[in-house]
Amino acid sequence: MNIELSELTRKFGRTVAVDQVSLDAGPGVLGLLGPNGAGKTSLLRMLATVLPPSSGSLRLLDRNPARPADRREVRRRLGYLPQNLGYYPSFTVADFVEYFALLKEIPPHLVPKAVATAIEKVDLGPKARARLRTLSGGMLRRVGIAQAIVNEPQLLLFDEPTAGLDPEQRVAFRALMRDLGQTATVIVSTHLVEDVGAACAEVALMAEGKIVFRGSPEELTVRGVGHGVGDAPLERGYSAVLASARTAS
Amino acid sequence: MTAVAFARSRPVRVFRLEIRHSPVLWAIPLLAALFLFDAFRTAAGFVPVWSVRASVITTAMIAEFGPLGAGLAAWVASREGRRKTGDLLETTVRPAWARQAAALGATLFWLLLAFGIGVAAVYADTARQATWGGPPVWPVVVGVVEVVTLAVIGFTAGTLVPGRFTAPLVAIGTFVASLVGFHAALKVKPGSSLSALLSPATAVPQGDAGVFYHVAPDVAIVQVMFMGGISVALLGVLVARSALYQVSYREFFSAVWRAGRWPFAAAAALLVVGVAASSTAFALTGTARLGVSGWNIPALHDAASDKPIPYTPDCAGTTFTVCVHPAFSAFLGSATAALQPVAAEIAGLPGAPVRAEEVDSGPAYRLGIGTVLLGSASPSILNGAITGTPPVYEYLADADIAPFWGSASIAASGDWRSGFEQEFLTAFAGKPGTFFPTPAQQAVITALMVAAGAENKATLTLHSASPALAFPQQDDSSGHPVGPSPAQIAAAAVRFGALSPAARHAWLAANLPALRAGTITLAQVP
Repeated sequence: MNIELSELTRKFGRTVAVDQVSLDAGPGVLGLLGPNGAGKTSLLRMLATVLPPSSGSLRLLDRNPARPADRREVRRRLGYLPQNLGYYPSFTVADFVEYFALLKEIPPHLVPKAVATAIEKVDLGPKARARLRTLSGGMLRRVGIAQAIVNEPQLLLFDEPTAGLDPEQRVAFRALMRDLGQTATVIVSTHLVEDVGAACAEVALMAEGKIVFRGSPEELTVRGVGHGVGDAPLERGYSAVLASARTAS
Repeated sequence: MTAVAFARSRPVRVFRLEIRHSPVLWAIPLLAALFLFDAFRTAAGFVPVWSVRASVITTAMIAEFGPLGAGLAAWVASREGRRKTGDLLETTVRPAWARQAAALGATLFWLLLAFGIGVAAVYADTARQATWGGPPVWPVVVGVVEVVTLAVIGFTAGTLVPGRFTAPLVAIGTFVASLVGFHAALKVKPGSSLSALLSPATAVPQGDAGVFYHVAPDVAIVQVMFMGGISVALLGVLVARSALYQVSYREFFSAVWRAGRWPFAAAAALLVVGVAASSTAFALTGTARLGVSGWNIPALHDAASDKPIPYTPDCAGTTFTVCVHPAFSAFLGSATAALQPVAAEIAGLPGAPVRAEEVDSGPAYRLGIGTVLLGSASPSILNGAITGTPPVYEYLADADIAPFWGSASIAASGDWRSGFEQEFLTAFAGKPGTFFPTPAQQAVITALMVAAGAENKATLTLHSASPALAFPQQDDSSGHPVGPSPAQIAAAAVRFGALSPAARHAWLAANLPALRAGTITLAQVP
């Protein structure tokens, strides 16, 4: 298993953002759904080793990230795209991706090829020398994806990766996620249930810091038959599970 | 590791990326303009003596590079906070201190490169004009360490408070702090608090600084220790801060455990070493005392720097010889042209000098703190004096030959020449140690200057309704003029000047003791 969480909890003062979440995940694409404030981003930040858990156990890539040496090794094989991608406007696309390649300690002689490959994968080859300040929001998102995959990670964490992408790019990105999911564990936090239906083999639905559903997109769809609210079957499943979780709490 | 492998290594490539994107590059034109219009022009106006010209490094250049560099460093350091890249960067393998070191290193690279070019320009211009000595190293060391320290202060501020207003506030704050230090340094004197010696910006040294005696490096060493200590301590703060990314104080101990003990051990060591260095430097300044080579700190002082620097003076003239220190060779022609005609007017009279020689102005004046020590009431120390047998006129570089704004071209001007002649004749005909000659002495000196061809239309005009004299009108405590008017003194000077040279000579030979004693009145001047 690349991800093993057991009763993972994260508190901010008195607010419990992630509440005793247990989750295992191996290679493949796992969609993380949930309403705003459900705890998705906090969970992703803990998986990204940015945020230490308040309690519970967390193992990533068979290592304990609480230990500095293990955390370093996890990060070497980790890719992360945060919800709000920060960037340096004066950097070019290639410089930005190279910067992260170097910080991720890719062997220096492999960096140029890794950078070129990552940029090609997100279809930004012609813009490799463009400064980030000149790019559109969708292009910047693709730059963020490129830096996340430049080290060919075994654990990829995407927070709203398709936000700002046009339909064509979104389709291409889904294909990329499926491709990456062949060898790596890809966790995609998103509001867009169609992304989950198209690219994810599994779905986890979070509400109020807990995982209230874990299964395939088809199983989620079944939960919505005759119950949920929404235009698409998956959306109805999503809203039905959420309504059920709220009633239970 | 070969040079090629080093150049391709990971830290070097990150450093190169930072260099390419450093905001200091955008500020270089501004730095260049400030440098050219202030530091370089100021240095070019100083006498071409190495220590004097080098003083712009720790004064004007620091004022330009320091606060701007601190602001730029704060801007670079606050980048992760302003651009919201902290989370993303935190997931990378390289520790935060390593990427911060690259960013700070790139900032310092451009700042120090620009600073170095500035120093090279000042020194190249000085080398073109200087006739003696060589470029001093300590002002450069102090300047570099101060630029680094101010940049580290800015970088630390930008890291701890990563807002968009941090950079301008840091620039303004460091500029104000430098000014406060400078003004405190101007007032420092033996017996007062000496902590202001830690300010690199201080008064411009006098023209003969580093000429007759070495400039002791004691204070420079202490300044480097003090500022270097601040830098090292702040680097410790940065290392600790980078290991405590997004940690609240409640989570401090768990975060320390999480980060591992080495970053904190390194941070604590840097902090202790830095504070110890700065504290030691602060304590050492309290032991400073004024010696022939400037401020000496006994624990650091090398007695060898107290020995006079051997030199062979440059001299001209046979009957009346004028000598300058070789550092002032460019002024020899002007000094000779000024002194020989007036020396000829008094040749053969009792006490008339046969030679003029430049002498050391002493440590207080060399440091530019003479007026602080003695007050404005005793400017006569700046005048030359006639001493020894045979009599020799000893004059000071700063007062007579090369005021700090001086140059060889200024020395060729009428004002400069008449001032030099006036001081020479005042030393001869005036009462020793008196700055204001009596009216009779003024009339005689003025007449001799005119006879020697020194009349200058701007400062010495006798034949007009309101004559201008080289001497200032004396006032009483309430500001009212006392004694004879300039017109009365000018009339006596015209009268005395109308005598034949032989008659003037004879009168002086007979009345010189009384004239010097101040007992001859204006009416008694023939």
